[in-house]
Amino acid sequence: MDSQRLEEEFVKRVQSGAKIEASDWMPDGYRHLLIKLIHMHAVSEIMGVYPEKEWVPKAPNLRRKLALMAKVQDEMGHGQLLLRIVEDLAAPYGKGREELLDDLVEGKVKFHNVFHMEARTWADAGLIGWLIDGAAIINQASLLSTSYAPYARILKRICAEESFHMQHGENVILSIAMGTDEQRKMLQDSLDYWWYSLLFFFGPLEITPAAQKMLHYRIRTKTNEELRQKFLAKYVPRIWSLGLTIPDPTLHYDSKLERWHYAEPEWEVFQKIVSENKGPKSQERIALRRIAQDQHKWVRLAMTTGI
Amino acid sequence: MEKQTEPSGVYEVFVQRDHLDPMMHVGSLLAPTNELALQLARENFTRREQILQIWVVPRTHIYSAEEDDFHAREMDRSYREVSGYTENGRLWRMFKEKEITLEEIVRYVEQKKQSKHDLHREESHES
Repeated sequence: MDSQRLEEEFVKRVQSGAKIEASDWMPDGYRHLLIKLIHMHAVSEIMGVYPEKEWVPKAPNLRRKLALMAKVQDEMGHGQLLLRIVEDLAAPYGKGREELLDDLVEGKVKFHNVFHMEARTWADAGLIGWLIDGAAIINQASLLSTSYAPYARILKRICAEESFHMQHGENVILSIAMGTDEQRKMLQDSLDYWWYSLLFFFGPLEITPAAQKMLHYRIRTKTNEELRQKFLAKYVPRIWSLGLTIPDPTLHYDSKLERWHYAEPEWEVFQKIVSENKGPKSQERIALRRIAQDQHKWVRLAMTTGI
Repeated sequence: MEKQTEPSGVYEVFVQRDHLDPMMHVGSLLAPTNELALQLARENFTRREQILQIWVVPRTHIYSAEEDDFHAREMDRSYREVSGYTENGRLWRMFKEKEITLEEIVRYVEQKKQSKHDLHREESHES
């Protein structure tokens, strides 16, 4: 069969709901998109640890400290599970774990915008757990129906562990929301700082050619905007119920258009943060990651050679 | 895979029922070779149900923990479990909202078509 026929058959299969395994034949385009998506997901899990681990020594009590450490452990674990999937996909190109991690410190793979931002206060740490994790969960839940079976299976596991993250984040936010005026002010300030980063997290409104291809191959089944709308529907009422003000006076549900109207984030500003690693904390965290990459080389060596 | 030569070695059998399921241990059998183990596994364990994949693994290739305390929980770990945060429901009610669960989010995201009401405010919210 020529490659065009194979590609057509493949697309027909995935579009009718078939799942693809690592050992199945797949078009190069499909493989490239999966590598790009899952590699970014994996390193985002790893970089997502930094804003939270910064709060481990400063957590307000022992239980919060333990919970944060458990989250850090979970997220590093998710990074490992996801990298394993990328390794299988990237094997034909001779790319392994070392190269995939080098890409991160060399700026060749991007990570989510939110992990370039600063966790300035305990409310920021809580908000990360509540809304950033909330947004990530919506994104991951939508990928459970992906056509690539190994990714779907791992996402199932990741989502199950995220359910503790969700409850933990809400619990931190609820206690701050029930606190003093000063604490509530800190929470409001945190929402102001994170709001547009959260909207950006779901990606641009337009369906880019790469996104279109992912939909075509059923790697994704939902658009960025569909997911952003779902996030708004689930979380805006809860944010309001806490008596917080969302820093967008135009935000409302448009019942005629059946969608949430919102002021768009400054796309270029946020895009620059991600594509050039120019966020407030990008360089500092990548530098820490580089130190880990260098100084822990002997650990990886011991773990991979068994000596 | 290396050919098993000892007569009737023990094989552990794993099956995968769906692409979204992990491999599940279903039992074991005796067989002299890998190939026969696979045949026997199919006949013994999957006569009726439709499955995707079977693995047979020589028991001697399985390494597991021997000490009893390998899986011991040395302290309370509720801080890393959903069950450690049951007060959230009560706290949300103080703000006239209800708690949210991961299962609810997954159902909500996966639902194919949404009603007007769902998109605006999740269905169960006002109940």
